[in-house]
Amino acid sequence: MRSGPALQSPWSVYLQIAPLSLVLLFFFVFPVALVILVSFFHYQMLVGMVPRFTSKNYVDLLSNPTTWALYLSTVKFTLIVLAITFVLGFWIAYFLVFHVRNLLVAIGLFLVCTVPFWTSNIIRMISWRPVLGKEGLINSGLIKVGLISHPLNWLLFSDFSVVVAYVHLFTLFMIVPIFNSMARIDKSLLEAAIDAGATRWGVVWDIVLPLSKTGIALGALFVVTLTMGDFFVVTVISGGLSGSATSEIYNDLQFLNYPRAAANAVILLIVVLMIAAAIFRLVDVRKELVR
Amino acid sequence: MNRPSASPSPGSGEIRLVNLTKTFGVTTAVDKIDLTIPHGSYCCLLGPSGCGKTTILRMIAGHETPTAGEIYIGSEMVVGKSPIARGTALMFQSYALFPHLTVLDNVAFSLKARKVGKDERRRQAEEMLRRVHLHALKDRMPAQLSGGQQQRVALARSLITNPRVLLLDEPLSALDEFLRLRMRSELKSLQSELGITFVHVTHTQPEAIALADMVVVMDQGRIDQAGSANVIFNRPKTPYVARFMGGQNVLTGTVVRTADGVLRLKGANGAQFEIPTNQAAPPQGFVVSFTVRRDHINLRKNLDNRAAAPNEVRGVVEATEYQGSYIKVFIDVGGGVFVANVSDRDFSADPVERGDAVVASWSAADTNILTSVDEGGAGEPYSDAAPATTIEGLEKG
Amino acid sequence: MAGSTTSYGPRPWTFYALATLFTLFVIFLYGPMIAVLILAFQGPSGSLDFPLRHPSLMWFAEVFHPHRVGDVVGAFERSFPLALIVAALTVLISVSAGFAFRRRFVGSTLIFYTAVASLIVPGLVLSIGILVTFRYLGLPAAWYSSALGAHLSWTLPFGLLIMFAVLGRLSPSYEEAAYDLGASKWQAVRWVVIPIVFPGMIAVALFGFTLSYDEFPRSWLTVGSKNTLPLEIWTMTTNVTSPELYALGAMTTFVSFLAIGIALSSIAIIQRTRSGRK
Repeated sequence: MRSGPALQSPWSVYLQIAPLSLVLLFFFVFPVALVILVSFFHYQMLVGMVPRFTSKNYVDLLSNPTTWALYLSTVKFTLIVLAITFVLGFWIAYFLVFHVRNLLVAIGLFLVCTVPFWTSNIIRMISWRPVLGKEGLINSGLIKVGLISHPLNWLLFSDFSVVVAYVHLFTLFMIVPIFNSMARIDKSLLEAAIDAGATRWGVVWDIVLPLSKTGIALGALFVVTLTMGDFFVVTVISGGLSGSATSEIYNDLQFLNYPRAAANAVILLIVVLMIAAAIFRLVDVRKELVR
Repeated sequence: MNRPSASPSPGSGEIRLVNLTKTFGVTTAVDKIDLTIPHGSYCCLLGPSGCGKTTILRMIAGHETPTAGEIYIGSEMVVGKSPIARGTALMFQSYALFPHLTVLDNVAFSLKARKVGKDERRRQAEEMLRRVHLHALKDRMPAQLSGGQQQRVALARSLITNPRVLLLDEPLSALDEFLRLRMRSELKSLQSELGITFVHVTHTQPEAIALADMVVVMDQGRIDQAGSANVIFNRPKTPYVARFMGGQNVLTGTVVRTADGVLRLKGANGAQFEIPTNQAAPPQGFVVSFTVRRDHINLRKNLDNRAAAPNEVRGVVEATEYQGSYIKVFIDVGGGVFVANVSDRDFSADPVERGDAVVASWSAADTNILTSVDEGGAGEPYSDAAPATTIEGLEKG
Repeated sequence: MAGSTTSYGPRPWTFYALATLFTLFVIFLYGPMIAVLILAFQGPSGSLDFPLRHPSLMWFAEVFHPHRVGDVVGAFERSFPLALIVAALTVLISVSAGFAFRRRFVGSTLIFYTAVASLIVPGLVLSIGILVTFRYLGLPAAWYSSALGAHLSWTLPFGLLIMFAVLGRLSPSYEEAAYDLGASKWQAVRWVVIPIVFPGMIAVALFGFTLSYDEFPRSWLTVGSKNTLPLEIWTMTTNVTSPELYALGAMTTFVSFLAIGIALSSIAIIQRTRSGRK
């Protein structure tokens, strides 16, 4: 281990890390702390927040069956989306890493997948309408071919469309970490397995899958966080028909009931953190990110 | 010889290491080293990975700070000084050519750091490139160069700073065999031409003895032996050095008596050794190790089972290995393996094969007493992939 | 064969199956965007669905007229410079922090995990939090304070991770060679390290720009009275029922593609120059 150039003063490190630390402190740590604090405040109609400690917000929320129903619905969506994005993400990453022979082509195809990520989420979301709508492409196409006689109205403004939109937006977050993990697998391991008589499926199940564990965990973490924390996709695409945990928060915010919104936000955060902790237990995330 | 005009380096390139130590946490990489490298000599630090040779090089260069001890270059104590102020230049194992700069800008880099004007530094860099015969490539990028070319650019880049000591970190390891031999002679002639001190780190023994005026054999942070290549090869002091340099058999025996300047030892299986010595006689029963060069061994088939004479061992041929101008004969002497390098003429006159009973003998003058006793399996063989060369049976007889 | 690098035999059936999956996925990804792009040229019928009748640019023109439900041009004029500033700041702060993380220091693990946590926490929570923080400090939510900070809390972790990857792969020999040749620490950084990691910095800038330009949940409560472009579009989705929305989408996507194109081609040019093919 090298001890580094003998020219750096120890103070320069702290100077270098200061901007990041300050931003994180003011725009992450403080806000989260304040949200937690405010969740214990009292809300008075027409007055706003009153800094009087109360656990009423939590009691209200947790005893309200709607809250549970909404969280259940959100978790349901999240699990479905997680399953689909995992299957898609895994096989696409697998294809890019192990089936595409030319490295440049693989990188090119990878970029093709990632470019939509850099365009507006909202636009991508509303662009489903001409495709899934009653007069949209799919319905018109199916009618023309004669498979159906009336347009399917569950394609848009439904649970189905919500799942489609989430998969559309978030599969990339699965592909990237899994791609990263897979690319690091020593290809000679696979050759050795084949030499030893493993079937191609056996190779995937016994070698590729375990070695991609970290990437899968990271991807799962992202997808879960983004799905559970989303509110605009679910409201717009479902036309207000599906609820989510976040829609409750949204409503409270409309009425300026910050304390209860904050309490709900804290509950949401706790759920997400529990899932994150479970995932962090399975893999050493820091090693994976920094390597 | 025209050197580009840079600030003149302060004279002597003699390097003195005094009690030099480097620890990383609980590991001691370099352990109280004392060494003097004469001005203008070519010195090779030789040893396996982890022996501390690269750490010493980097401490001389100023890229690593010693935990204890001093380093003198010329007569200045340089610990704490920046690399450029010491008058040293380090050639990295990976060459570390800046990938975003052309060859010319790479070479001109140190002048840019010294705030020399653009035209002037380019002129000096071109001159330097002409000297290493790479002027035609001055506008190329490092990625376009072959390994040998990259090395010459790295050399040019280092030499333009007019160092009094050039430090080379395994410069030839990345090259293929043919290129390595060619670059070896180029380095040697460069050093005599420049007249500055070269310190060259390597793990390859033939390279070290070909290049160096002074070979320093290291093991686990300590210097086992330092001296000319001739002395190190023919008169190794320890079993480790003997094995690392290769070409030696290490034998051990117990002192019977010393008389008339001849040390008599008793070995295993009835072997007797007589070694001329002018040193004080060790007491009876004392264990002594010594070496005999493999190519100084006379081999003959054991056909008549004569009584054993001094300075010979008997055994059975285990294997033979063709090496072109000589044949390596591995002999099992009942406790270890003994190797004789037989010239191909001698071998074809009297060939042996696996299973033959043989007698290996040598003349007393060809023995070299070691200062420490061989502990058998304690050291690993390093040279030419030979199996363990200890004769384990020959201990306290 | 899966994983085979040396024996280039005929492709197994799984290749074709996966290639088909990949193609379908790409169609799935780009299809809706292309549909919107085409429909942006919708004619006076103003239909939000296919078919495209009498293609015209009229809806593009509509976008530029401010009206009661949306001021797109204004929002763009705010979002774009904000994104540029966020990009610049993200690069500066990420590079600086990336350098710091090359050594061990007190609190490095804490700061690292905090940055990662900032990625995981739902944007909505953070939005509320930042709004409340500013209320608490008695400051109004505004563009270049709360919105900027909210965006940075999203872009900085990405920037940091990229700089980790880039600086982690940077061999320390380059800097040591620079010192060896007499460069000061600052000269080594300016003339050696930064040029070598420059493509990484472009990537960070790209992330900073696009993540800010398209950012929604964190901006929601932190922008104050004037909207960012995504927020403006959001309001329009609930109110506007004409292809104007698609025209807007086409244009904003165009800006994104422009940013991506500039970034990627810059990186490609740099790599090409360094490998020597001019």
